[in-house]
This record gives sequence, structure tokens and C-alpha cells, in this order.
Amino acid sequence: MQRTPFLRLFLIVALGLGFVAVAASEARAQLLLQRPGWDRSLVSVEVTYKVYDAFQPWNEPTRAIRKHGVVIAPGEILTTAQYLPTHTLVRVQKGGRGRWYDARVKWWDAQSNLAVLEAAAPAFWDGLAPAKLAEKVGRGPEFELLRWRDGNLENRRVEFGKFTVSEGVLGFAPHVQLEVSTDLSGLGWTEVLARDGVIVGLTTYSNGRVCGALPAPFIRDVLAAWRAGSFSGLGYFDFTWQPGSNPELLKELGMEGESRGAVVHAAGRESDPAKSPRPRDILLEIDGFPIDSEGDYLDPDYGHLMLEYLANRGHFAGATVKLKVRRGARELTLDYVVPKADFTDETMPREVFDGPPKYLVAGGLVFQPLTQPFLRGWGDEWRKYAPYRLQYYQYGEPRDKRRSLVVLTGVLPDPINLGYQDAVMLVVDKVNGRVVATLADLAEALETPAEGGVHRVEFMPGRNLQRLVLDAATLDAATARVKEYYGLPATRRL
Amino acid sequence: MGWRAMRFQSMTGQAPRRRAARVMAMMLWWICGYGAMALRAEGTLLESPPPAVAAAAPERAVVQILVSSQVPVFDAPWRYHPIRRSSGTGFVIEGGRILTNAHVIAWAKQILIRRYQDPRLLPARVVFAGHDCDLALIEPVDPKDLEGVKALEFGELPAVQSTVVTCGYPAGGDQMSFTRGVVSRIEVQPYAHPGNRSWLAVQTDAAINPGNSGGPVFQGDKVVGVAFQGLPGLQNAGFFIPPEVVRHFLDDVKDGRYDGFPMAGVGFDSLQNPAYRRLLGLTDDGRGARVDWLRPDGSAAKVLRPDDVLLEAGGYPVGSDAMIPYRGNRVAAGVAFQQAQAGEKLPLKIWREGKAIDVLLPMEAYTGDRLAGRQHDEPPRYFIYGGMVFTPLSANYLDTVGRIGRDPLWENLARLAYELHHRPVEDIEGARPEPVVLAGILPHAVNADIGVRGRVLVNRINGVRIEKLEDVKRALSENGGARHVFEFVGPEEGPIEAIDRAAADAAQAGILSTYGIVSAERL
Repeated sequence: MQRTPFLRLFLIVALGLGFVAVAASEARAQLLLQRPGWDRSLVSVEVTYKVYDAFQPWNEPTRAIRKHGVVIAPGEILTTAQYLPTHTLVRVQKGGRGRWYDARVKWWDAQSNLAVLEAAAPAFWDGLAPAKLAEKVGRGPEFELLRWRDGNLENRRVEFGKFTVSEGVLGFAPHVQLEVSTDLSGLGWTEVLARDGVIVGLTTYSNGRVCGALPAPFIRDVLAAWRAGSFSGLGYFDFTWQPGSNPELLKELGMEGESRGAVVHAAGRESDPAKSPRPRDILLEIDGFPIDSEGDYLDPDYGHLMLEYLANRGHFAGATVKLKVRRGARELTLDYVVPKADFTDETMPREVFDGPPKYLVAGGLVFQPLTQPFLRGWGDEWRKYAPYRLQYYQYGEPRDKRRSLVVLTGVLPDPINLGYQDAVMLVVDKVNGRVVATLADLAEALETPAEGGVHRVEFMPGRNLQRLVLDAATLDAATARVKEYYGLPATRRL
Repeated sequence: MGWRAMRFQSMTGQAPRRRAARVMAMMLWWICGYGAMALRAEGTLLESPPPAVAAAAPERAVVQILVSSQVPVFDAPWRYHPIRRSSGTGFVIEGGRILTNAHVIAWAKQILIRRYQDPRLLPARVVFAGHDCDLALIEPVDPKDLEGVKALEFGELPAVQSTVVTCGYPAGGDQMSFTRGVVSRIEVQPYAHPGNRSWLAVQTDAAINPGNSGGPVFQGDKVVGVAFQGLPGLQNAGFFIPPEVVRHFLDDVKDGRYDGFPMAGVGFDSLQNPAYRRLLGLTDDGRGARVDWLRPDGSAAKVLRPDDVLLEAGGYPVGSDAMIPYRGNRVAAGVAFQQAQAGEKLPLKIWREGKAIDVLLPMEAYTGDRLAGRQHDEPPRYFIYGGMVFTPLSANYLDTVGRIGRDPLWENLARLAYELHHRPVEDIEGARPEPVVLAGILPHAVNADIGVRGRVLVNRINGVRIEKLEDVKRALSENGGARHVFEFVGPEEGPIEAIDRAAADAAQAGILSTYGIVSAERL
């Protein structure tokens, strides 16, 4: 086929225009990076992470999300820890467009919801400059919210809401949060809140018109401790309390006069009982901060905050705080050691970040630890659909106070488990007479069959199935058969 | 022989020819009934059905029941919801009484009946209500109102695939409605009215809609069931109560008192696993269901043990699927237990330690889980002090709190649901016979500083563990201190509150007056 001169001319012109467009785009990107501003510090972060299949925990499908990070030091990008605990790939991008660079998670902490990334490629760091974290964050009235959107840096105004104390997005340790009010949607992806050119917060969630952020001073404290090698994790008060707002109750507990303090109504189970408040103690001061009748104290930086933040203010887990309590007619000062917020403290951990989900398959019966991630396998409305009785372990410990629980979560049909196809979502009490709190207990119990040549599995009392037995002599062969038949990579991950 | 004839033969065992004649007679009645109704509705002139059929027309014994009811507000138990008007169906049975569903007449303030093609509204009253089986007997206040009505007779459990006709006054019109369908299946189903009972029920594709409730289901001229419920989301699936459940109810009330269906307090599970069968010394012959759990205070706990194997119950052989053959069906073994009356002994054959033995299981009515089911006709108990409203925790009360997984008070709700439904079976020592909740607080200066505002379990008052509502009154009346102290949630430590005793005593009358409460208690 012969090309016409007209077509040749057209191709040359088009090619030329393409070169010009590419050159202009690169020049604009360079200009953008050379100009001082947030576009030199704010980066995009792409995380590919594992989403474990709650009902087939050996399956490890992945998803990917994009959020933000901010350069805080040469070679370091600060971001939130969300989605990083199970990451398989992290990439970063500067300028809101262009090449994605591989990054590595240098450090992350679930309770504080913070992480630091690093990228090896020198080209990534060209033109980037660290941003500063504010030492203090004032109360409003407005902040800038910065994010990359469709390749452009978006800078919008948001209104200050309040400082509040609540559990983090990933953990249960209480810490201070900055709430802003905005009409913007799609927030909570580590957008930067800034004022006067410094970072005042990183967003972690949004709910309607309210967007929550980690305040910069809190981030600074955590990072400083981490850099110094002294970060022991966030702590929490393991006792529970109620506001001391009922004067009659305070009188009953031996305190006359103006209402103040918080009334402890349940002792903790992690801290030293001799150094911890007891039920009916009135908590008057923590580290010198008087506690008011709402259970709040006046924070010099943030105003009135719930006393829970004093578990982490100026220190972290393991620190000793002075608790001034009224116990009957006496006032005492307790040297309370703040316990570390650890998911394993909970009977039903709300997160499991120490590895992929554990499981054990025996004769086709699938056992897993009872965890909130497992219950979230019922989807976004898991509170509605997951078995209520399993959920309730979040509030009610087992009668014997065992610290964790194992659930029969499914049955992979096999001749050995004939008749047990519907035996699911049952909490294991004992196996072969031994109390089972962990999969390791279960594995150990299965080493010694019960009388009659069977493995006897007993479930927690109730109106559900109470027990089943498996043939001990053929269990190993059946488990191997199940592994092969259902394509399991392994029959246990303890 | 055609397919239809063969099918009936297998169901009834009758000779095909005699069966065919009977089917024809049934169809005649249906045709006459439907044809007459349809043509009347179209305004077409049609002669009345032949007198012989009209005289025996069973619909003449079917009545519409118009009820004005008023349900209490369970979280403000001195109050009632607005009057609600509803209608159902009933039918005259032997003895001049009308059988209907208990849910038709529950919480009734006024019951009126309307006879077939009779313009009068006739006052009626409840004679017996069996809320556990959703059946009730009512009667006209004036016995003469049913004079001349021929009582309907009961038949036997209809066969699956056989045809039935429902008759009643469902929504959508004023006149009696007939629908025809087949018996789809027969098995134990949850009865929605009590909420925590399951009995034998028959599923049909004949339309059963609101207003049909309590109406007869016919096969031929015999009643083979009482229409009672549908299942949301299931199309063409209505349920009726079979004759055996009805007879059980009618036999029960013969002594002038309704005891209810017996509950032995035993749970069976299938015994199909080869290793389990071997362990219990059984061959793989498909016989026997395993005793899985026993309620400690139940009569079964006196004669049965866990891992006993039930081979026969009331003469019915029990299969390893925990089912029994029952009149051509396979139903849960519990049906054998449901046929006994409270006070009777049910013969069981069980397999224990390698031997078959016969035992007699005393049957007794069980009301220990009354609060976990829906309450009817008895207004809730309560006690009010210092504006604090105490009432027993019940399923009806929980309905006022919200729904699991949806309510922002999820934790409170979860704790109450556990206390009501799970603790009694999981933690027998820790369970309370009648858990009491602080339903709410009537605001007053004397209670304004109390932080707990309601929807919580009452654990202790003045140190007294609250096992039942009377304990609240006792704990308060026996306290001579300056304050009353209330502990909530439990069984261990939870929120604690206090109220000035003298101030609360003084405020009591004023609070009741302010909120229009006639009595501070209904114990």
C-alpha cells in the first residue's frame, strides 16, 4: 500500500504536536515541584493489602486503595497506618500524577494509627521537601484541607469543630482527635489539614459533615518517641468509670460538697490491683489535673477533654501516673502503671495484626479464634448479620474468664464429619476434656484422644449443639484427604 | 388407573372407586360454593344452591371476629397504646363455642362476632386462650346467638399434596372468602404468636392472609386445620394448625383450666456420625437420636442422661435424623412429645450403656421461659419509685428498645438480650427468675442527677440482688439509710447511682400525679 503525501504530512504534524505537549507537561511538572508549597510535600500512596476470607482463612485475596502521605524528613513519608498492616505492595507518587515508585513501610503502629514509609528511588525525592508538624494546634476557626484530586492539588477551607478523645480508627487506645466540619465528601484518606504552612492534622475518617484527624502535636510526640526508640505504644485506663455528677452518690461514697471527680465502677484486669482504683473509688486527679464531675479535665493545649487522654498525655504505655482517689473517708494517691493497649487483652480482639488469620482444620472441621475481623466477614452490616451470641463475647467474658475463645466456623464435608454439616458458629469449650482457649490448646488436646478412640469436642453450654465426636484413628488421614480435596495450602496456621 | 386416583390411594388406602365418589362430592361442594359466590358478586341471577347442600354448608358455622384491642406500652407499663381494631375468623365447634387463634383475641377489650350473612354484631368473650399454641375458645355473651348453627367437625391430618380449602374473612373485602390449595408439607414450625414455641404445622399454597386467622381449613366437610400465619418473603405459603394440635388444646381445657403444652426440657440431636454411633454401641441402622442437652429443672433430667439414645417415643420409632414417621410424613421427634398432656407420662425406649431400656417420662407444662416469649393479656408488672420505673425484662420490653445491630444503644440491647435469652440456659446459677430493668426515669428534681436513664438491668438495690420485681420493693422498703443505692448491669460491677431517700419518699405522690399515673405499682 502506498502512503499519500497528505497522510505523511499529517503524521509528521501530529508527532510534532505530541512532542510539544509532552515537553510542556514535563516542564509544568518541574515548575510545580520547584515552586514552594504543599505539592512538594503531599504525596499519593497506593496500598495493596490482603483482605482475608473470614470463612476460608487460607484464602488471601487482595484489594488496593489510594490515600495520602506527607514528607516529614528526608527520605520519610508520614501516613496513617490504615490498610498497611496486611500490605503486600506500597507505592508512592509525587505531584499527583506520573510514575509510581515502590515504597517500604519503615514503621507502623495500629493504636496511634501512624506509619512511616520510605522510597528507595532517588528520582522520587527530587523536588520534594519535608513539611513541618505544628507544635500546637489552636481552636479554629478554619484550616486548609489539602489533597490530590484528579492530578491536581486541591486546597479547601474546613471549619474547626472540636477536640475530642476517642478510640482510634484501628485501635482502642484513647487519644485526642481534631474534628473539622466540611461539605467535602470522600475524606478520611490521610488528607493534610494545615494552617500557616504547617501540618495541623492528618485525616483518619469522615462521617457526614464531620471529618476526624490526628492532631499534629500528638503525631509529633509519637514520632519523637519512635525516633528515640522509646515508644512503648499507647496505653489506656483499664478500669471503667462514670461521671461523678450525682451528688447523692458522692455523698454515699463519703464525699460532701461540690460534685467532682469520676466514680470507678469496675476494676481493670491488666493493672496491679494494689496500685489501681477499685469500684466505688472517686477519681479526683490524674497527674495533677483535677477531674470534673463530667469525667473531663482542662487540657492546656486542647481545652476540656475526657480523662481517658491522660493515659497517653506526655507519656505512653508503661508510664506511671499519679491517681488521686477518694476511697471512703480517705484520699489516696496511687502510682498507676498505664497498661499497654494490646488487642490480645480483649476476649474477642477487635483487630489481629500479628499475622494472617490463624486456623486449624481437623477432619474437615474448621476452627478459628473468635475475633472481630472474623465477624466482619459478614460484611459492612456485620453487627446485624453476624451471630449475636458470638458478638456478645465483646461485652461478656466466658464464665471461667478464659482470655480467648475458639470457634468452629465451618465444616468441609468429608465422611469423617458426616452428620455435622450444620455444626457451625459454635464456641469450643473443651476437647478431649481439656479446656480450649487457643488453637494451640486445641492442637495439643487433639494429641490425646478421649476414651473410646474418639476426639470429643464440647461446646459452650446453651441450646446449641453441645458435643460431637470424631474418629481418632482416621482423623489424620481424613484431614489429609480434606486438604487435598479442598485444595488447602495447609491444614493449620497457629 | 390414572395418576390422580393412584395418588389418593396411596394417601388414604381407600379403594379408587369409593375414593373417586368422595372426591366428586367434595368438588361439588367447592363448585357450588365458589360458583354461587362468584355469580352473586357479578350480580348475575342464580338460584340458590340445592337445599340439601345449603343446609349442610359449613360456612354457616364460620364467623367473623371483630376485635378492639389495646396493648400496653412495655417501657411505660402503666400506659396503653391506642385502641386497635382488627378482625379474624372463627368457627363454631361442639359445645357452642367458637375456635379461633389466640392472636386474634389477644389484648381484646371488646370482641364482636358476625355470623354468616347476619347483619348483627354479637358480643363475645374469651373462654380459654392458649397463647403457646395460638388457639383460643370464645363464646357469645348470649348463648342463643349461636342457636341453629351446626358445629363443625374435625378430620384428620391431611395428606401432603391433598387439596384443602380455607374459609374466612381476609382483608380486601367484607364477605367470606374461600381459597383452595394443596398441602405443601407438614413439619414442625415456629409459632409466631408465642415467639418461642414450635409445634406441628401444615404449609399450604392456599392464600392465608390477615383476617383469615382462626378460620377453618376444610377437606371435604371436615375441618383439618386452623389458618394462623404466613411467612414474610415466602410466596404462596400459608400455615395452618393441624387437628392434633387443636385436639390437644381442646382436651387440655376440658378440666376447666388451660395448662399448656408440656415441655420436658430435653434437646435431641441427630446421630448419623459413624464414630459417634460406634462410641455409643450402635450399628449403622439409622435408629436413634442422641440426647444432647437437658434443662436441669426439666422432667427429662430426672430420667434421661446426655448421650442416651432415644429409640422410641410414644410408640414412634425415632430415626438417626431425630425424626419420626408420622402419618406418612417425617417430622421432628418432638411431635411425639407434644401429643402428651401435662401430668401424663410418655413411654420412651432408650439406649443406654449398650442396652435398650424403657422409661416413663413425666410431662409437665413449662413456663420458665415465659418472659422470653411474647406476653399476652396480662399487663406488665411494674414498680415506680422516685420516678424510676422498674419492670420485668421480657421479649415485649426488648421490642421497645430497638433491634440488634441497628440501635445506637446496641450494647445495652445486647446485654439485655443476653440476660433474657442466653443466661438462663448458659449460666443457670447466675440467671435470675425475673430479671428487672430500669425502663426509664420520669424526670423530677429528685432524680435529675441520676446519669443512668434506663434500658439497663438492675443488679442490686441497697445491696440486695434483684431476682424479681418484688425484690425492688422489698429492697427499698427495708432500707433505713439516708439514701437508696442502685447498681446496674451486673452480674459484676456496673454503673451505680443513689437517690435521697427522704426526698424520694416525699416526691413520690407528686411524680405520680404529674405523669398521670394512678398506681405506683402493679405487682
